[in-house]
Amino acid sequence: MITLYSILLTVSVYHLARFLAAKYSSPLTSPVFISTIIIIFILVASNVSFDEYIPAKNIMTYLLGPATVALAVPIYKNRLLFAKYFGAAIIGISIGIVTTITSAILIAKCFQFSKPFTLALTVKSVTVPVATEIGKIIHGNISLIAAYVIITGMIGAMFGAKLLNLIKVDHPFARGLSIGTIAHGIGTAEAVKEGEVQGAVAGAAMGISAVITSFIIPYLIPLFF
Amino acid sequence: MIRKIGKFSIQMVILIGIYQIGNLTVRIFHLPIPGNVSGIIILFLLLWLRVIQIDHIEMAAGWLLKHLGFFFIPISVGLMTLGPALINKGLSLLFVLIVSAFIGILSAGKATQAVIMKKEKEKVNYHDHAL
Repeated sequence: MITLYSILLTVSVYHLARFLAAKYSSPLTSPVFISTIIIIFILVASNVSFDEYIPAKNIMTYLLGPATVALAVPIYKNRLLFAKYFGAAIIGISIGIVTTITSAILIAKCFQFSKPFTLALTVKSVTVPVATEIGKIIHGNISLIAAYVIITGMIGAMFGAKLLNLIKVDHPFARGLSIGTIAHGIGTAEAVKEGEVQGAVAGAAMGISAVITSFIIPYLIPLFF
Repeated sequence: MIRKIGKFSIQMVILIGIYQIGNLTVRIFHLPIPGNVSGIIILFLLLWLRVIQIDHIEMAAGWLLKHLGFFFIPISVGLMTLGPALINKGLSLLFVLIVSAFIGILSAGKATQAVIMKKEKEKVNYHDHAL
């Protein structure tokens, strides 16, 4: 009963959020962000704990895997573009990963974060299933890592496009790549709405950056800890 | 309508199957990538080798991609369990995540665009030269 309630709640809030996003386009109406806030609020108000929500969550996220796999379709359609800009993609993704991890750790050191809080920052831009796997290898706190990853995804989805406008990055390939590298799947979901090229590149960048990150983290961590 | 639902379901089963094969290959060969990324690579290869045609999966794939954001919502709701820890460190944590994400997005976007522009410019120069 609670599971059915949770699913109906999530689906209807999502549709409401899409409607709001279409009507009032702003970072605050980014569907993942606003839906999450509303759903948490309603669950708390109706006395449903996250443990009770988990069965519904498992049913609803069943298709996340196949949905991620579906990204192969826009990647395939834009394969010539990828072949053309392969060098640019590898350079852009690597620079994005290194600058975001380094800046995060340096700022965290200024705030004197404890080691688990700092360590988890290294995987904050990696898609959830990979981030938790890397987390186990580096002995990080898994739920903290998941929280960082989700919040980072929301930040990228909410502000990514606006930031890129600000510095006049208008090439669809560069825009998709940047959002996918930093804001993984949540950013990709937003990039898909901006255009097919952006969505395809974001999805590919998410995958490539996950692989690159898992290779460079073992070398990056000893530099800071 | 019924034919449409049937077609959609078959396409969905194909995508789920490829995802499971992706998971399986990662486990069997101990690959350093997650199952979903492996699934992307497998589906790409199948399309490229023309084992699967785009029309065989486009309906379900398009629907899934349109609602990709939805699948992250139930996971994000999990943030409610971290309430106390996050509120404790709240602002400084948010500051770190926002500033570092902004730096990453700006540098990745600018670097990629710069390399692309450089490449296109070289091409133009080459043509100029040829003229």
